[in-house]
This record gives sequence, structure tokens and C-alpha cells, in this order.
Amino acid sequence: MNVLKVPARTIAVFVLPCLLLYTALVFVPILVSVYTGTLDWNGINQAVFVGLDNFKALFTIDAVFWPSVKRTLLFAVFSMAEIPVALCVAILLCRYLKRPNFLVSSYFLPVILSVVIIGQLWKTIYDPASMGGMLNQILITLGLGAWTKSWLTEPDVAMIALYFVALWQYLGYHVLIQFTGVTSIPSEIYEAAQIDGAVGFTADRHITFPLMIPVFKISIILAFIGSLQAFDLIMVMTGGGPAHATDVISTHMYNMSFLSMKYGYGSAIAVFLVLLCLISTLIINTLFRTLEKRQS
Amino acid sequence: MNNPLRLEAAKSLPIKHKPYWSWKKGCVMTLLSVLFVTQVYPLLWLLLYSLKTNEEILSGRFFSLPAVVQWHNYVNAMQGGKYFKYLWNSVIVTSITMAAVIVLSTMVAYAITRFRWRYGQTVMTVFLVGMMIPLQSTLLPLMVMFKHIGILNTHLSLILPYIAFSTPIAVFILSGFMKSIPYELEESAVMDGASVYRTFRSIIVPISLPPIMTVCILTFITIWNEYILAATFISSERLKTLPFGIYSFVSQYSVNYGAIGAFLVLGALPVILIYFLLSERITKGMVAGAVKG
Repeated sequence: MNVLKVPARTIAVFVLPCLLLYTALVFVPILVSVYTGTLDWNGINQAVFVGLDNFKALFTIDAVFWPSVKRTLLFAVFSMAEIPVALCVAILLCRYLKRPNFLVSSYFLPVILSVVIIGQLWKTIYDPASMGGMLNQILITLGLGAWTKSWLTEPDVAMIALYFVALWQYLGYHVLIQFTGVTSIPSEIYEAAQIDGAVGFTADRHITFPLMIPVFKISIILAFIGSLQAFDLIMVMTGGGPAHATDVISTHMYNMSFLSMKYGYGSAIAVFLVLLCLISTLIINTLFRTLEKRQS
Repeated sequence: MNNPLRLEAAKSLPIKHKPYWSWKKGCVMTLLSVLFVTQVYPLLWLLLYSLKTNEEILSGRFFSLPAVVQWHNYVNAMQGGKYFKYLWNSVIVTSITMAAVIVLSTMVAYAITRFRWRYGQTVMTVFLVGMMIPLQSTLLPLMVMFKHIGILNTHLSLILPYIAFSTPIAVFILSGFMKSIPYELEESAVMDGASVYRTFRSIIVPISLPPIMTVCILTFITIWNEYILAATFISSERLKTLPFGIYSFVSQYSVNYGAIGAFLVLGALPVILIYFLLSERITKGMVAGAVKG
């Protein structure tokens, strides 16, 4: 006997408080959203059932929706592109420094700060030079005055400026994850490989990469899902403006629900977002499972 | 491993790699230092910014130290911004959430890993699916729900969803640990006549302290920094948590640059202090929290 057999009442005592709270505040709202997604409702008037009209409008008429999906996915791509960079940094840290921990924790510092602080900090950095913005002041000092911009209010560059902040904040997280992964590879393996003549990049290709696949999976899911959910940083910095140039799925949902008061329409976007997150996780997991199977 | 590659590498090793060693090392060091500057300098810049007068900030010398350290920026920030009120609210909300998450998720994790019952795996799956659900997608239905039961614009309207959204990862981490506790420990306790509750309290919980600490840290960082839920559900000035408070302060005092900088520094201070004290634990906890698959 290695598992306790206990009466159902005891199980209920242990599980139900948490499970009920969790279901009521996570799953019930999602189900409610699925229902409100089929309504034409502004939260005050009588709701009218319109079937799938909200979704139809979202996919065909809404001029903001598809660009915002594109920006969300592009963000996911950039975040994932950050992982190889983080891996390189992690390998270099391990290989060239005796005490890499100080640098790793310094890189990590921005991760633990609230997005409000990060967002406001970068807003001040992006400010026009006349308002004390650091970036523009640096450009002027370097004699590149022509490059100065109002980074967050010009539609062409605003989204890139936001991507940069998000990538900046999370670089430390990815470095930390990769670093933990690399340091957990036993050094005997590298020593054995060295005897066989595999050092540097050769060793990385045959030892580090294959052994790091589970870690890549963690990083990729974190980067991908994190980007799909990207929200508060954009809300703090631009709110989706100027002229929807920085809208992503979540900000579009928020603006529709809380500013335009289209509760039904906002819910439809929320449902789309949840499905997108669940399906992408499923796909990434399946991809990695086949990859791991092929390896072994 | 394939042979030709191995031989080649072995031959080229002593001749090719040694002379470039120091040069390569120099490059690596430069790269790592540049990274250090980009990651840390903006925060340092903020500190300098918060100690300058408006004229100094606008003068364009971004690298300079303040001529006279302007502590009164901090005085302005504290007086104008109700800093301590926001801080206190954050402490209350975060600590209640942390306590509840720990109690509830340890119990569930224990039930999932150690009890023999049919739905253990189902419950686990339910929690795992929840890790993928974005918090913001529940904003609207939660707001409508809370308005109906009349708890909108109270701390309870933050604490309840915070608990709900923190439990999945907590259950995941704790049950991962509890699976590895040897069954003999419990068996002997049961032989001695201890009830399930007693076993749980005096054997399982003390052994599980390291993962509980991880859960604590993870919950602390996420909840302490949470902004959007607070900004949506709270409207009274006296109930705002720190991130939301910072945001409102900045939008109110938009031209008093020094005071804004000071408020941002004050806002970052609690987390940074804790990070200095517990950096090892925090980084470990955050790595554990990254596992969302």
C-alpha cells in the first residue's frame, strides 16, 4: 500500500475549497464570456442575442483586429528569437566567468519590477529631448540629431519601441532560465568530450543543445504565451494608440469592453484569445513531444 | 559521435585556439559588460533623474550627477502621492493572497499526490489548463460578477482572483515535490494513529517548506506587481495598490519630473530591497515558475 485511502469527506475538505474558488473565478468567467460573446450588450441596456454576429464582424469587418493579431504574433516571434541570444549569453557566462551569478542576477533585475515602473521609466527615456528623454539626448550628443523622434507617438516606430522594452525586460528571465539549464549539465560530460576532442562550439552542438531541449520548451512556451498575453506594458505606455498603431489582441479587447462599452464584442475577442492560447500551447507541446521521441 | 569530426577537432585544438584565447575573452567580456550597462543603467539613470531639478533634467546632460541632491522630490512624492497608503494596501492584498494560496494549494497538492481517489488526475489537469488562461480575458465577466455581489471596489475583489490565478502554478510546483516524499514517512505516522490532518500538518507541510518558499516568492512577485486588475476593479483612492498608485501619481504630476522619478524609485524600492536580500531564492523561484507546459 503506498497511497492513502481516505473517506470522500476528507478528500472534499482538502480539495473543494481551492477547486471551487478556482473554478468560480477562472472557468466560470470564461464560460460566461462564451455566452456574452453572442450578445449585443453594453452592460446597461437589455442584451440582445445575435448568435455568431460578433465573431463574424470581428473576422471580416473589424479593421483593427487582424493587424492587432499580426502584431501579437510578431511579438511572439521576436520573443522566441530572444531565446538563442539568451542561450549564447548563458554559455558565455558559464565558460568565461568564475562567478557568473552576479551578472545573472543583475540582468534579471528588470524582470521583478512592476510593468508600471518599467513602462513609466521607458516612457521618460523615450520622451522628446526637451522633456528630458534620455534616448533623444544621447542621439543629439552623438550628433545624430536627425534621428530623434517622438518614439511613442509616431505610428511607424511606436510598436518597435514597445517591442524593445518588452524584450529588454524579459532578456534577463531567458538568460536566467538558459543559465540554470546550462549549469545543470554535469561537467563530466564536457570533460569526457574534451578527451574526445570536442570543445567550444562542437561540444555545444553535440552536448549542450540536445540536453537543453526540455529547457528550450519551457522558454518557448513562456515567450510565446507571454507574448500572446502581452497587455499591461502596452496599456501603461500607449494604451494601443496612436490611432491603434500599437493595439494587440488584449488591448483591443480591453478598449472594446471598457472604453467602447461593447461587452458582447469584447467577450468575443476574449474567447478568441483564450482559444489561441490553449491551441498554441497544445501545438508547442505536441511538437516537442515528437522532437523528444525522435531523439530517444 | 562521428569520428572524422572528432579527429579534426583534436588536431586543431592546441594550435588554433590557444593564441586567440585572450582576444576572445576580451570580446566576451565587452559583450557581457555592454549587456550589463543596458540592463542596469536605465534603472540607475532613474535614480539620478529622481534627484535632479526640472532644469537639470531638461538640460540634456543625461549622464551628469545632480548639482545639489534634490531630496525634496522625495518629500513631494510622499506627500502628494500617499505612498505609504498604497504600500500598505499592497502589503495587505499580497500577504492575504500569499497565505491563502499556500494553504489552499498545499492541501490540493497533497490530495492529488497522496490520496487514492478516482478524480485526482482530472483535478490536476483542470489546474494545468488554468495556467494557460490569460488573466485579462476574465476581466469583464469578473467585473460583472463582482458588481452583482457588491464587492467591486474592495480589496476582496482583487484578492479572490489573485488567489484563483496563483493556485495552478502553486499546485503544480507543490505536487511535483510531494510526489517525491517517501511513503514510509506517512505510513509510520498512520501506524502511530495520526489522522490524515495530523499527518498533513506535522509531516507533509514541514518537509515541503522549500517548495512552499518557492510558491511564496512567485506569488509575491506576480501579485505585488499586478496592475491591470487593480486598475479595473478599484476606483477609490484609499484602496489603490502600489502599481496602480504609481500610475495615477504619474498621470497627475505630469510636469514635476523629479517627483515622478522619485515616486518610481520609491515604487521599485520594496521589491529591490527584497531582491538584494533573497536574490538567490528569488531567481530559483522564478525559474521554477517558468515551467508552464
